[in-house]
Amino acid sequence: MEKLSYQDVNQGVVQRCISGDHRAQYELYKLYSKAMFNVSMRITNDYAEAEDVLQEAFVSAFKNLHSYKAEASFGSWLKKIVINAAINAVRKRRSELVPMDERAVADMADEVNEDESEWQVEQVRRAIQKLPDGYRVVLSLYLLEGYDHAEIGEVLGISESTSKSQYSRARKKLLEIMKEPQFVA
Amino acid sequence: MKDRLEKFVQDHREEFDVFEPRTELWQQICQDLPQKSPEKEAKVIKFSFGDRASFSADYFFMRVAAAIVLLLGCGLTIFLMKQQTPESAYTLASSESITTEVPEVGAIAPELPEIEAYYVSQIEEKKSELSEYDLKVLGLDEQQVIDKELARLDSSYTVLKQQLYTSPNTEEIVNAMVQNLGIRVRVLNRQLEVLQRLQKINKETNLKQQTNDTSNV
Repeated sequence: MEKLSYQDVNQGVVQRCISGDHRAQYELYKLYSKAMFNVSMRITNDYAEAEDVLQEAFVSAFKNLHSYKAEASFGSWLKKIVINAAINAVRKRRSELVPMDERAVADMADEVNEDESEWQVEQVRRAIQKLPDGYRVVLSLYLLEGYDHAEIGEVLGISESTSKSQYSRARKKLLEIMKEPQFVA
Repeated sequence: MKDRLEKFVQDHREEFDVFEPRTELWQQICQDLPQKSPEKEAKVIKFSFGDRASFSADYFFMRVAAAIVLLLGCGLTIFLMKQQTPESAYTLASSESITTEVPEVGAIAPELPEIEAYYVSQIEEKKSELSEYDLKVLGLDEQQVIDKELARLDSSYTVLKQQLYTSPNTEEIVNAMVQNLGIRVRVLNRQLEVLQRLQKINKETNLKQQTNDTSNV
């Protein structure tokens, strides 16, 4: 991820945050809020909920900053907090996140023609938003947050193989959605 | 095949971040954060935690402090209540023995022995004053009625005194006891007044008789 490069720059700011420096906290917030909000937005798929998650995550991050060991970059540490908070929010609103209903997958065609047209970012993004919660979360974590299936399995409390199969189903579903008339640009 | 989607997303990764949180959100986050910066410090009621740096620790400290204060308060109340109950139970057990009665009354109603002593001295005084009058000479048999009344007041007083050990409503009982003593003093006073008036009348009639006698002589 791009944010990894900030690691060294952040260390001083993080230290100031630990000692309660208000401006240092705002600095970190400015640096990460947009990226983290989009992470939250992709998982929750709801603006208000994504904001709640972001608020909760930042408050929790600042309060627990002393437990940040600089093993990973601050960005990925923060991202993990955001992702966990977002997943919790989605879980609260729907009991089951993963696995999805198997029959919905069985109905789908195995072959999806992919190379028909050029993709547009906006088209793909909106298609991801149309995915059901379980698919959207796995696909977003894999494609956009750069998580591997082991990490996704850990964060969602599922096995690595479940994450893999969920992802391939989600991917099929996504391409299907993109072929719907309103998505063909 | 798979790589095409992955590659597309990776190539356009930045473009996928299209949303931005409202600017007010930072204010909301600030409200949830314990403030340590000097410009905000004045707004927050703060206790000195020394060099404690972590935010959560301070909240924790406050919680613990509040809990301790609560526990101490409860403990003290219970302790004081327990201290009072065994004492009254003790006096109740020994209330039959009249000799030890007075100091224990002091434990329940500290003002009572003093009041009692005052009224008893008053009553004794009135009684001795009364006994100076020769009732037979004054032709009064009312004394018996008064003695009965006084005996009745005395017995109700003993009942009240016993209740004092058992009833939780000490103030009411002490009031009744004081009232009882007051009535006795008033009864004796009334009797004294009556006797004084009678004596006066008797003296006057005697004088009249004497003057009449001398004039007749």
